Amino acid sequence: MSTATTHTAEHPAKNYHGGWLRWLTTTNHKDIGTMYLTFSLIMFFVGGLMILAVRAELFQPGLQLMKPEFFNQLIGVHALVMIFAALMPAATGFANWMLPLMIGAPDMALPRLNNWGFWLLPPAAILLTLPFTLALFGIGDGALATGWTFYAPLSVQGGMGVDFAILAVHILGISSIMGSINIIVTIFNMRAPGMTMMKLPLFAWGWLITAFLLIATLPVLAGAVTMLLTDRHFGTHFFDAAGGGDPILFQHLFWFFGHPEVYILLLPVWGLMPHVLSTFSRKPTYGYKAQVYSFIAIGLLSVVVWAHHFFTAGMPVPALIYFMFSTMAISLPLAVLFFCWIATMWKGAMTFETPMLFALGFIVLFGVAGLTGLLLADVAADAQYHHSYFVVAHFHYALFAGGIMGVMTGVYYWLPKWTGHMYSEKLGKLHFWLTVLSFNLTFIPQFFLGLAGMPRRIPDYALQFAEFNAISTVGAFILGLSQLIFAWNIWSCVRGGDKADSRAWEGAEGLEWELSSPPAHHTWETQPVIK
Amino acid sequence: MAGYALVTRTTNQVVRNRGEGLHRKLISLASTAAIPGAASAAYSFNFPEPVTPIARETLHIHNEFMLVITVLFVVVFAIMIYSMIKHRKSSGHAPAKFTGPSGAMQWLWALIPFAILLFIDFILMGIPAVKAIVNMEDTKTQADIVLKITGMQWKWQYEYPEAGVKYISTLATPRDQITNTADKGEHYLLEVDKPVVLPVGKKIRILLTSTDVIHTWWVPQFGVKRDAVPGFLRETWVLIEKPGTYRGQCAELCGKDHGFMPVVVRAVPEPEYLAWLETQKAEAKAANSGADRIWSREELMAAGEETYEKICAACHQPNGQGLPPAFPALAGSKLVNGPLLGMDGKIIPDSHVDRVLNGKAGTAMQAFRNSLSDVEIASIITFERNSFGNKKGDMIQPAQIKALR
Amino acid sequence: MNEAFSRQDLERRRNAARRLGWVLGIAVLAIYILGLFVKR
Repeated sequence: MSTATTHTAEHPAKNYHGGWLRWLTTTNHKDIGTMYLTFSLIMFFVGGLMILAVRAELFQPGLQLMKPEFFNQLIGVHALVMIFAALMPAATGFANWMLPLMIGAPDMALPRLNNWGFWLLPPAAILLTLPFTLALFGIGDGALATGWTFYAPLSVQGGMGVDFAILAVHILGISSIMGSINIIVTIFNMRAPGMTMMKLPLFAWGWLITAFLLIATLPVLAGAVTMLLTDRHFGTHFFDAAGGGDPILFQHLFWFFGHPEVYILLLPVWGLMPHVLSTFSRKPTYGYKAQVYSFIAIGLLSVVVWAHHFFTAGMPVPALIYFMFSTMAISLPLAVLFFCWIATMWKGAMTFETPMLFALGFIVLFGVAGLTGLLLADVAADAQYHHSYFVVAHFHYALFAGGIMGVMTGVYYWLPKWTGHMYSEKLGKLHFWLTVLSFNLTFIPQFFLGLAGMPRRIPDYALQFAEFNAISTVGAFILGLSQLIFAWNIWSCVRGGDKADSRAWEGAEGLEWELSSPPAHHTWETQPVIK
Repeated sequence: MAGYALVTRTTNQVVRNRGEGLHRKLISLASTAAIPGAASAAYSFNFPEPVTPIARETLHIHNEFMLVITVLFVVVFAIMIYSMIKHRKSSGHAPAKFTGPSGAMQWLWALIPFAILLFIDFILMGIPAVKAIVNMEDTKTQADIVLKITGMQWKWQYEYPEAGVKYISTLATPRDQITNTADKGEHYLLEVDKPVVLPVGKKIRILLTSTDVIHTWWVPQFGVKRDAVPGFLRETWVLIEKPGTYRGQCAELCGKDHGFMPVVVRAVPEPEYLAWLETQKAEAKAANSGADRIWSREELMAAGEETYEKICAACHQPNGQGLPPAFPALAGSKLVNGPLLGMDGKIIPDSHVDRVLNGKAGTAMQAFRNSLSDVEIASIITFERNSFGNKKGDMIQPAQIKALR
Repeated sequence: MNEAFSRQDLERRRNAARRLGWVLGIAVLAIYILGLFVKR
């Protein structure tokens, strides 16, 4: 197949050291993908440092390191950074790099929009973190201290940190919407001849559903935080009972976005898994159609289950029962996905390079997330779990073991394609084992803390919670330090390493594996034809 | 040793519950046996001992569901691990090529897990859950007593409306324990000055609201957690089966001292409860009658200092310096040093008296008119105007506050 | 290789993409504005 490189003279493929103007104005999907991924990695460490400070405070009972006000800021900004500045940009980076390669398109359909979508991110990240710095100089009292969920009326009360966060969320939302529009129109319009929708790689399907969820739900979040802004400064009473409003309205609006958001974070990873499992099992993907239908089912279901995030707020019994059953229903298409992943491996010829290790670890640990999600869906028992550390443990299994380890799977899988070098397999395996072991060390105790009665978002705790908190903190520090191995491995790989083939992995199938590693700056100038 | 104690406790509790099916006992034993024997008091792996019917129901649902998902986990990942061992390239296994079920047998293999999950979700766990929910939400049937709970930043107010008793319950752990300059007591962060007192064996209907932001009232051993939403009334209920002291915490982030507003409930036999209620009524009467006499400056200052430390110091700080901009300083404050009342004896809008009585909308300063007595409000205002370097020299009587309400 | 997209093909597809992009963007705006009117 064609790997036309008519522009090699002007745009050398492996040139990551171009002038800054190139990066500011590039409309090339590979460049933009690289920027998204770099930004994401940096913000991953920023968010990680924040939570290590939190875990340090929680190492022992008593207040050792910080005031409760500052603690509340750290936990909220940690979440916003990880979700909006680390996970989502990583997934978008994958989409940008890989979708055109996978569907045989020369670039994304709207390349300039692509550039704008990325460049909105650094200002947004600055807005999120600026209040910390300003407070050091006595301006304002820090970043938002309401948790990433911004609940009213606490968020109406809060200082200027809330306004900064609202603005940041708006900008992050616009960036994601731009990216999603681009992905949808690219997938619909730019597929190579012969690539029907039912031949679309599953990674593309995952992102297609994700993009639709984003454009359907981000506007609602934007609306909610706008209403919050006007309640704060312009005399409205959307969330104030005295003025005829209702604080719970905010929760409805927020979680109408918030629940689909977790599937937004996971669907790209679910789309990636079949690729990796199939490659390292040397076996075709099992249940392609079933997985596509499951993605769609999960996407649709995700929009009608939001109230399970606030079962204790006091809603009528029929609502409680409805939301419980609709939430549990998601376990069905999810079970289909697990079945298909394992069936893909079954009777394959497996090898266990780092991407495969991460994929397998993902399946097991994300399974814990899904199963504990079933528990949480049970309204009767949720009275004990809600807003306790049980929930914190559950969603970290979902978003770290699911989201972040999924991203790591993709990074190790595609680094050879992006850079033309193999990363260090030894360091990769070390990173994997340290991550998995320390992750469990960090979060299993948190399940027990929740059951024992420890609430979330508290900087200090009663003595019976001390032992598990100490263990969790130790785990967290090992987990944090282990990620340095990851960063080092990536950095070394970018700079050099064993040469990678076009088909960097023996069992890899797909258009992207027919291009050179790294691919030329412009690829698929002439479309491949799919039979 | 401790693991044995856990099993015994559960067995005793199981035996005590008459009319419970055999499967309940088996599930409790099975799930407890799954807990490593190395359990000690500090390593608890499950909910604390339930003392209400709802808590027991919740514990049972949790144990049952935990068993189900543990079995699912083990079975599924046994299959996966088997595959990882058997189907390796290094052992020479040649990869198959199938991409879907072929033949009826394989369709059965594919659909059975789906059907099992459907059964587990909607029948096995779903139906008992619906029953439990309906029970949990039924606050009115045969309710004997009403308790009204108001969440505030950062304390709880408890009210027994029928008896006319109302008081605030704040964290009693001394500051130096929190800042690590003193050893922590046994109930560190879970102790209050005035706990809730409730009778055992009676169904208590609980109404909840808040004066400022959303708080959540949670006592794990009751299995009860309900949001306190400002401007709205929420409901739940408890029926405490055995006497004891039960501790919980606020479970919704509500600002800087969210972790420092515990819940303590003392459940006692009914006669003891009634006696306690009588003394509370008498105290309330005494406090209300504070407006019936003139108070001296010394009395007001002393009462004011005590109330200030309990109620105001959390935000405005013991030295009156506040934590600006969120919590203004009282020392040298224009408001505190402003006029006490208008020429006509009425409240000046945005004055010191107005602020304490009515709060300031959109901030953390709540209205105290409904949570503090005439004596408390008059003494706080007097104290603040004559402390922290403020030297207004004036004072205000409880009777005046009562008239101004 | 001549079954691949011609210059005009690409043009057409990019225009279609741009049109769809605007439709989606307007849908987003509509949801946002509608959301501001949601009350209990």
